[in-house]
Amino acid sequence: MSRNVLRLENITMQFGGVVAINDLSMRIDEGEIVALIGPNGAGKTTAFNCITGVYEPTNGAVYFNDKVIAASHPAGKMKRMYAGSDPEKFAGMHVTMTPDHITRLGIARTFQNIRLFKSQTAFENVLIATHLRRKSNIFTAMFRLNWQEEKRNRERAMELLDIVGLKDMAGEKATSLPYGMQRRLEIARALATEPSLLLLDEPAAGMNPQETLELGAFIQQIKKDFNLTVFVIEHHMDLVMGISDRIYVIEFGKQIAEGTPAEIQNNQAVIDAYLGGNDE
Amino acid sequence: MKKMSKTRLIVCLAAVLLIYVGAWFAEKSAGTNSMLVTVLKKGAVYALIAVSMNLLNGFTGLFSLGQAGFMLVGAYVYAVFTIPLKRHAAVYQYYNGGIIQFELPLLVALILAGLVAAGLAALVGLPVLRLKSDYLAIATLGFAEIIRAVVQWDSLGPVTNGSNLLKTYPTFSSTKILGSTVLFPFIVSGVCIGLILLIINSTYGRAFKAIRDDEVAAEAMGINLFHHKELAFVISCFFAGIGGALLAMFQGTVQANSFKSAMTYDILLMVVIGGMGSVSGSVIASFLYIACSEWWLRFLDNEQFIGSFQVPLLRSGFRMVVFSIVIMVVVLFFRRGIMGDRELWNLRLPKKKKGKEGLK
Ligand SMILES: Nc1ncnc2c1ncn2[C@@H]1O[C@H](COP(=O)(O)OP(=O)(O)O)[C@@H](O)[C@H]1O
Ligand SMILES: [Mg+2]
Repeated sequence: MSRNVLRLENITMQFGGVVAINDLSMRIDEGEIVALIGPNGAGKTTAFNCITGVYEPTNGAVYFNDKVIAASHPAGKMKRMYAGSDPEKFAGMHVTMTPDHITRLGIARTFQNIRLFKSQTAFENVLIATHLRRKSNIFTAMFRLNWQEEKRNRERAMELLDIVGLKDMAGEKATSLPYGMQRRLEIARALATEPSLLLLDEPAAGMNPQETLELGAFIQQIKKDFNLTVFVIEHHMDLVMGISDRIYVIEFGKQIAEGTPAEIQNNQAVIDAYLGGNDE
Repeated sequence: MKKMSKTRLIVCLAAVLLIYVGAWFAEKSAGTNSMLVTVLKKGAVYALIAVSMNLLNGFTGLFSLGQAGFMLVGAYVYAVFTIPLKRHAAVYQYYNGGIIQFELPLLVALILAGLVAAGLAALVGLPVLRLKSDYLAIATLGFAEIIRAVVQWDSLGPVTNGSNLLKTYPTFSSTKILGSTVLFPFIVSGVCIGLILLIINSTYGRAFKAIRDDEVAAEAMGINLFHHKELAFVISCFFAGIGGALLAMFQGTVQANSFKSAMTYDILLMVVIGGMGSVSGSVIASFLYIACSEWWLRFLDNEQFIGSFQVPLLRSGFRMVVFSIVIMVVVLFFRRGIMGDRELWNLRLPKKKKGKEGLK
């Protein structure tokens, strides 16, 4: 059995009375491609936000490489409104990390609503994401004493653009690129942070069938080339079934199924809730 | 950041040199006391201050309204430590000659002015910049008001001279270079703006711009928001402090009450008129703004007669009315300012084909 990379334990995320995630537990092992699917509003993006430190979960813990990166339990006025299970399980634990810290540990992500640096070129967008691994400080950077690092980072950014097929667009403003290219640019930018776990939030949204097909192969390729573990939220079932080792299905913040693509396709609860009903 | 070609860099440096020669020549021909030279000196000082504010407001997306406060700190530090010892008795006449019994070399005092302003900025930023939303504007505005009162506090009189003027410290007339008073402010301001440009085009400058464009994405890319905001704030205030010291040199006297928030708004307007996120824009706008307010629009304040006909509206204060209208027009219709977020030296040469401009 391979090493565990990411583990969610009893994660509940409440926004006031709205329970976006309810007692969610998952585990992803090294080298897997795991998909998270579920209807709109099921809480998928919220799960990513809890993993990456954007939100502090109301209850539960997140482990990355067996190290706690988030842990919380209902406190203060949340105690009264808490709707999940077992409010005492994590009572002794409280760990919060800022998103940049978590990224430095090796978790990178893309966004469902593309969030590129608007005023910057495609090249600069990727280059910015090499900043976190810098050895330079403000003075060495200011006087270009870090020119070797700078040169390496520029070459690296160009390489990554080449890998996602955007080399010719390097000098274009990121926001002037077509939708599909912006999604690929976000992947290049995430890879520039040198992650070991890559979170992709609906990477095929807005892509045409041809692009979606290529994306599947591409995700498998970078997984291999960069030694990644991949956790992907996606609606395109062909893509999900094609690339995933395992799939988690959630609805209304609760897990309703987990298994291999074949198991999920034949799972009655999933068919009722999701696959049968709406064809997305 | 696009890397500049060698030739472009040389052309730019030559252009800067030419401006310096031009300024020197202007003083030689128009005379040190001419309006032109006054505008050049004050413009150079404000160019640095506007660029330092732009680093924060335009490049990092942090809205600070404390510029006047940090300039005041710089101005006072400079003046207090450079007043010649033998003048202390006269300047600090109400405080027994003051408490500081030494003077620093001019350049050391200039740098100290920046350092003290930067240190105070670090303290102000520490609690405020951790917060998500933009409390910085309120905190810095408050800081500027408080520091103005503190400096005039009687108990601090032996250092700050209370609400009395600080004077007789070295001014631009005592820093003549090649027999000219414009070169010192031009060189100090030019070097400081050069340093700011180096920062903006470094990996840290890219991080600042990333924060401005999208905080959430910047954080997700591993950029520590607090660390970088604090850094930008401290750097900006360091140069605002030096700018304040230069302003003290320009004015010849320093009094806390002249560093009102109206001064900050003036600087903010220069930044907006020049273009948020454009260093060259801020420089151009500073000179234009100072030239208009000190010189070109002065006639609006004087009653004028053509024959026996008195031109209507022209009277004291009308200049500010026209000025305000100009500013409203700019803010309403030319929101990107003169330069937008482009730089003079990056403007695409006409005829150059699109797409050819690759990355070096
Ligand atoms: N910051 C927030 N404040 C309040 N409610 C939120 C917030 N973020 C998400 N939600 C709610 O959580 C639920 C799940 O949203 P989301 O995770 O974006 O769903 P999905 O990505 O599966 O489509 C939705 O009902 C949404 O309204
Ligand atoms: Mg979502």
